[in-house]
Amino acid sequence: MDLTLDSEQEALLAVTADWCRDNMPLDQARDRPAALWTELEAMGWTAMTTPALGLSHATEALVFAELGRHLAPVGLIATAVAARWSDHSGKTALALLDPYPEAGRLRIYDPDGAGNALGLVGHMVAMAVLPADLGGVAMLDPSAPLAHLEPVPPFEPLGDPRSALHLQLLAAAFALGCADAARDMAADYARVREQFDRPIGWFQALKHICSDTAVRCAVARSQLLYAGCALDADDADAAFHVAAARQLADQAAIENARANIQVHGGIGMTDEAYPHLCLKRAHLLSFVAPARREVILGEAA
Amino acid sequence: MDIQFSSEEQRFREECRDWLNANVPAERRPMDAEAAIGFDKVWQRRLFDAGWAGINWPRDYGGRGLSIVQQVIWLEEYARAHAPWIGANFVGVNHGGPTLILNASEAQKTYHLPRILRGDSIWCQGFSEPGAGSDLAGIRTRGKIEGDELVINGTKIWTSFAHVADWQELVLRTEEGSQRHKGLSWVICPMRAPGIEIRPIRKMSGQVEFAQVFYDDVRIPLENVVGGLGNGWKVAMSTLSFERGTGFIADQVKQSQEIEDLLARARSSGALRDDRIAEQLAQMRVEVAALRAMTYRNISEVVRTGQPGPEASVIRLFTSELGQRLERMALLLAGEEILDFRYGDDDLVADYLRGFAATIAGGTAQIQRDIIGERLLGLPKSR
Ligand SMILES: Cc1cc2nc3c(=O)[nH]c(=O)nc-3n(C[C@H](O)[C@H](O)[C@H](O)COP(=O)(O)OP(=O)(O)OC[C@H]3O[C@@H](n4cnc5c(N)ncnc54)[C@H](O)[C@@H]3O)c2cc1C
Repeated sequence: MDLTLDSEQEALLAVTADWCRDNMPLDQARDRPAALWTELEAMGWTAMTTPALGLSHATEALVFAELGRHLAPVGLIATAVAARWSDHSGKTALALLDPYPEAGRLRIYDPDGAGNALGLVGHMVAMAVLPADLGGVAMLDPSAPLAHLEPVPPFEPLGDPRSALHLQLLAAAFALGCADAARDMAADYARVREQFDRPIGWFQALKHICSDTAVRCAVARSQLLYAGCALDADDADAAFHVAAARQLADQAAIENARANIQVHGGIGMTDEAYPHLCLKRAHLLSFVAPARREVILGEAA
Repeated sequence: MDIQFSSEEQRFREECRDWLNANVPAERRPMDAEAAIGFDKVWQRRLFDAGWAGINWPRDYGGRGLSIVQQVIWLEEYARAHAPWIGANFVGVNHGGPTLILNASEAQKTYHLPRILRGDSIWCQGFSEPGAGSDLAGIRTRGKIEGDELVINGTKIWTSFAHVADWQELVLRTEEGSQRHKGLSWVICPMRAPGIEIRPIRKMSGQVEFAQVFYDDVRIPLENVVGGLGNGWKVAMSTLSFERGTGFIADQVKQSQEIEDLLARARSSGALRDDRIAEQLAQMRVEVAALRAMTYRNISEVVRTGQPGPEASVIRLFTSELGQRLERMALLLAGEEILDFRYGDDDLVADYLRGFAATIAGGTAQIQRDIIGERLLGLPKSR
């Protein structure tokens, strides 16, 4: 039993963090260059757990949290799951199927240049072929191009039920990253913004808001790593642990994003400042393979 | 990174489980203070004789010299077996002893450590004073040096187990006129010394578990100072790091058992069909899982680097608030029967009422949040 990072994981994480800072800064999240996707794939992040690379889910979760911290394209999640459990390679868009079939609404994130879309249909991961030239436009989340598709094309389920856990784990990792970003943005601001002749972080009312963002991240990160290890070990409780990680990361993302806006005051509410990017990303992620209460309570069929 | 225990650790777990199954007393820890102390001592002695006391303490002082991972495995099995609360041995075993291991002289260690492990000496902690609670540096109890003795005057309060303790971790001002963190010393004070008066205080749960202690010209040998005269603040901080860090592992793993017990109760009573209850139980089950993951992460950090990571302060805060929510849920599931609670009852109502201590004792939740903001996030110090 060891839940600390080994030297390889530390090195990989440092490389990822450096690369993201230089090539995918959060402050450019709503205007990503078209070439970014090719570079992301070239870095190998979407194929880490394929047999060719054979890295662990725990390592992958760490790296995806780092990518998520920079509000990386959400299509990475779908592409990584497709690379691991199907024979599709190349860009795969993220599909969100409205759970009420009569609504018949299908949302496709990061559709540009993607041949397929992947998402949950019921409790199974399934894939569909996308029409060519489907273009996305940013809607609620300014960093996630979105297309609506009607009628819903046929979805083909992936055979292995572990693919759904994989999707949930990576969504949790992205959400944790989003929570980390909000935590750091809030603390950075609280250290420099001054009122009443002192940094606002001196005031306990604000300090404790910031402390709680750190608590939520620490809690969610521990469970995420545990869940990654549980999946790697084919643990009998893996589904529970992944669902737990998913739920905590989701809550951390939304609560931290909200706290970050409060810490920023007026500027936190503007379109120009960055806090709303985390909030909107957090709301989008909350719909990606959310945790199910039956699984958490051990009552799933 | 992995969550599998080694086969040696798994064998150790089975050993723990077998012994606990055969030895956990059927009767509950008595409520009466005198009877409870007898119970605590006998149980601690049984643990010691069977090799379960001081699992990760050095062999030279009566411990087994095993790893902290094995200590955690023991505590997990201990909670699963519903074994008794450590009671009056808490201070000695969880922070007095560890503070001595780190800071005391050879003579002090050789004398005190085995006695703590055997349950022969009960310890208490004399840090807080009426005027020095969260602001511990405001300590005013003083020790005047006279020859090779310290002459102590002043008062301590909220001292858990003072009325049954043999020894005390006492922090006092040994340098006249010194301010704040300077001029303090951490001393071993014999609780039966002449001039000590103890006034027990009843809690809102009915138990008499702490007291105010008065010192009137109490004379103790100067050699009872631990870690050097004037170094009291530093030694006290190491005590607090044990108290707030590894001292609470038992509470953390106990919560894994408590949530399962609550869930089983809610299922059999039908309360789980209430959506609000199901929602809260689901949330707590998720948080308890994360707490376990955090605890594991923290002890792997201790194994790797010798000390807990910076997130230890997060664990302490998270455990205390989660524990209180578990206790509230137990109350909610019990319903109106809680109205029949009387002093002397040792039940979930008593647990709920005493549970308020979790966010007060050993540093309040507010102080913990200050520490997290300042040490983890680098925010400016408010105090
Ligand atoms: C059950 C129990 C057992 C205990 N056992 C022991 C023991 O064995 N030995 C021992 O030495 N002590 C013991 N204590 C004492 C404990 O350490 C103190 O109660 C604690 O440190 C708080 O101090 P206080 O009670 O003086 O409260 P205060 O410090 O007066 O705090 C009152 C309120 O003010 C808040 N507050 C204080 N300062 C600040 C600040 N800077 N910022 C924001 N809020 C602040 C606190 O959070 C709290 O809500 C025990 C306490 C309890 C409840």
